[in-house]
Amino acid sequence: MNTIVCLKQVVDPELPQWDFAIDPATKRQVRTGKPLVISTYDENALELALQLKDKAGGKVTALTIGPAGEVKDAIRLALAMGADEAVVVDDATAPVLLGADKAAILAAAVKRIGTYDLVLTGCESADWVERSVAPFLAEALGAACVTFVTKLDPGQGSVTARRTSEEGFHVIEARLPAVMSVTSDESIRPRLPKVKDIMGAMRKPVQNWVRSDVAAEAVSSPVEVREVSVPQRTTKCEFLDGEPAQQAQALIEKLQSLKLI
Amino acid sequence: MPGILVVASALEGTLGRSALELVGGARTLAGPLGSKVSAALVGSGKALAGGPETLHRHGVETVYRCDQQALTAGQSDAALAAVDAVVKAAQPDVVLVGADTVGREVAPRLAYRLMAALATEVMSLAAEGQTILVRRQVYGGRAIATLAITSRPAVISVKPRTLDAPEPAPVPGRVEDVAVSIDPAALPTRVKEVQSQKAEVGLDDAQVVVGGGRGVGGPDGFKLLAQLAASLGGAVGSSRPPADEGWVPITWQIGQTGKSIRPNLYIAVGISGAAQHVAGVSGSRTIVAINKDPEAPIFSLAHLGLVGDYKQIVPALIERINAAKGA
Amino acid sequence: MYTKVDFALADEHRVVQAAAADFAAREIAPLAAELDHSGAFPRELIRKAADAGLLGMTVPEAYGGAGLDAVSYVVAQEELARASAGVQTIITVNNSLVCDPIVHFGSEAQRKRYLPALASGRSLGCYCLTEPSSGSDAMSLRTGARLEGESWILNGTKAFVTNAVEADVCLVYARSGPEPGAKGVSAFIVEKSFPGVRVGKVEKKLGIKCSSTAEIILENARVPKENVLGEIGQGGRIALGTLDGGRLGIAAQAVGIARASLDASRAYARERRQFGRVIGEFQAVQWMLADMATRIEAARLLMYRAAWLRSQDRPHAREASMAKLFASETAMWASHKAVQIHGGYGYIQEYPAERYFRDAKITEIYEGTSEVQRIIIGRSVVGPRS
Repeated sequence: MNTIVCLKQVVDPELPQWDFAIDPATKRQVRTGKPLVISTYDENALELALQLKDKAGGKVTALTIGPAGEVKDAIRLALAMGADEAVVVDDATAPVLLGADKAAILAAAVKRIGTYDLVLTGCESADWVERSVAPFLAEALGAACVTFVTKLDPGQGSVTARRTSEEGFHVIEARLPAVMSVTSDESIRPRLPKVKDIMGAMRKPVQNWVRSDVAAEAVSSPVEVREVSVPQRTTKCEFLDGEPAQQAQALIEKLQSLKLI
Repeated sequence: MPGILVVASALEGTLGRSALELVGGARTLAGPLGSKVSAALVGSGKALAGGPETLHRHGVETVYRCDQQALTAGQSDAALAAVDAVVKAAQPDVVLVGADTVGREVAPRLAYRLMAALATEVMSLAAEGQTILVRRQVYGGRAIATLAITSRPAVISVKPRTLDAPEPAPVPGRVEDVAVSIDPAALPTRVKEVQSQKAEVGLDDAQVVVGGGRGVGGPDGFKLLAQLAASLGGAVGSSRPPADEGWVPITWQIGQTGKSIRPNLYIAVGISGAAQHVAGVSGSRTIVAINKDPEAPIFSLAHLGLVGDYKQIVPALIERINAAKGA
Repeated sequence: MYTKVDFALADEHRVVQAAAADFAAREIAPLAAELDHSGAFPRELIRKAADAGLLGMTVPEAYGGAGLDAVSYVVAQEELARASAGVQTIITVNNSLVCDPIVHFGSEAQRKRYLPALASGRSLGCYCLTEPSSGSDAMSLRTGARLEGESWILNGTKAFVTNAVEADVCLVYARSGPEPGAKGVSAFIVEKSFPGVRVGKVEKKLGIKCSSTAEIILENARVPKENVLGEIGQGGRIALGTLDGGRLGIAAQAVGIARASLDASRAYARERRQFGRVIGEFQAVQWMLADMATRIEAARLLMYRAAWLRSQDRPHAREASMAKLFASETAMWASHKAVQIHGGYGYIQEYPAERYFRDAKITEIYEGTSEVQRIIIGRSVVGPRS
């Protein structure tokens, strides 16, 4: 089972609120000088791909689009975790591209990589949260599509996936090749990259392409980002103090007066 | 006349509530855009019963009905094929899809096939001349992005439970059956199993929700929260860490990847108030936070705050609520 | 004349730093406070660290190590110490004081026999130099070694041995010849399982509690001839060479503790409100944080430079001493200020400041006290005796 995992680097979503700012010029989060990490669910996708490789063998290829200098560390980490090779599409505009543009470039890159059974990516990116890359990719590649996957079982020419639904889960059998997006689950804990594998990682093959090496075809019509704003919170919290018994009493009375209970 | 097509899914066995939310959203746009609202009713057999009537009652004149055996729970490929067929027949300018499990797969794929403009997970719809303005949460709920769509067609997926269901506005309606042949064996995916872990009172509809976070400490704490929820006739939910840790089923998760909820009363217990979770509950009318840490970010969102140990406060609450009920 | 000066870490170093920081945050940090309270050896955690390649970082890949250089080493050790100085003590001793000397002075047979086990965590190492009556005056040690047929018989007591309780492999210095001082000392690789080797009194400490500190007692301990490390009489040179690397490990530990002190102080100063504002806005507090940050930067740079020299196989004894001296005094100062910034909460065990304070102290003492470091640096400044 050969898997391509699409990784995106984002500004660390765990940054404290006071360190979060939008750059009015780009209408995106201020990126300069901020720590960059692999987008949360993309890490899960990589982990699931590695678990699949542990179970069923095959090759794992890490694929990313970004300014080459920025994504270097993320790729090294992915290789140290166990990916066999990496492809980087060097594109300085990557941080402001929306899902549709990313999907177009990824589709072209996947086609150029050639042999694969499965393409995995995170169910949503930690920053723009569009949830559109996997479905777009599936259409562009003519592959089956399953999103929000938590478990994968390889079959003959197919893969059985567990998809998270609003009430529980679905079990879906998908023909290969397939594009799937991965969400979080107790069984998907991204493995720590081993320091002892880092030297080996430095020697694994990394292909560096530029945007013009991949003939990306648009997957949709463009949309304009008018504005990105940080909502100001206006609620002032009323604290109910005292011993737990007093607090409980005060809360009950407050809620009753608000006719909430 | 330009048209807005609402995807009214009956895949789950009956017309889902998202259909009406979408109709409400479509009606908001219809006036300013000068468009008519129609619906694509997709499902199989009995699931479609009463659907057209409900849609007509809420202002949808034309219902395009697609009745296929393959149109059942979780079957995104079939749903896509059906909606695609309806779009060919109806030629709408705008398609609204609910961003539920199937909808979030269908919307981008439909946009690809139509080379349409796509906006996903939107929370509001408005028109500025012929430009459609949508708002959606970004950066884990820390910011709101406003997107402007000028090209047509446009496909927009709407976050469930963020738009209000509309008031009835009955119109005389017609049903057009759209012929499409969907062979289940030819679809790239097959739904082998559908599992529902429905709670007694659904998180989606509850007027009162008690949410627990990492501060609850483990599955046992959630039993206490469930008691509190039960005493208030409400439901229990959680932020992401308890779901990730396996303390609660993943369907209890509220927040970015989990559900969005808008109860009248939301009680956050042991929840720090990280942006992702806040994004899922910020629509609640009244938010009460119980947390040991007075500096927890949740207190800048909450209306009422109790600083203390939930293990002492919650039992005291349950006692008083039950006493008041008994009185 | 232009000199190229590049203060950026190379790719490899940054990736190692990220991996070590990840490991520290995920595996060590959640246990740090509890390990300090209980003083229990973190067996499972050390196994995971070994798995990740942290126990034999600079051991060549051919012998099962990670094959990394000295800069990667200090950068990683700093991240580990930031989470728990106690855990990092266990790890740095294994790396610098046991693996390193075997790599540099060991025979091929010794390397093949001991390094794979030490790097993989199957064996843990300890370093036996200090004795009850010889600390700073290390070469006045009295443990004796006499040759009897195919074995050396060792007798004596080694004190303050880190990892003594859990170790399988002990690097022991003993007097093998009549020459006084360093010339009469030899180094031996002693397995705990050899007859006559046992653990003596286990000490209770002020800090770094989860690492064991105890006596190793040798009573007619039988050590095969093949286990002499280097040459007979080379013990002094081996000890000196080993301490250079060891001091880098302690410098990294100190920088880690100092950084943790700064991070905790910054977070507290941003949250604690008094007199209507966060205390971080008061000049007194801000200046303490400013001084902490400045000293930490200086300590780090000294450490990086010493490590870089080592990675280039250039002499670095003076620089390693400077790094250890400055970093350890910085750690003491910074952790002291951290307690002060936390106020009453700095004295309470629920907050980490007091642990940093207790952990920092040892860095001014072991692997050469600050006084010994000053002697080394001073001699190097003044030059050879006239």
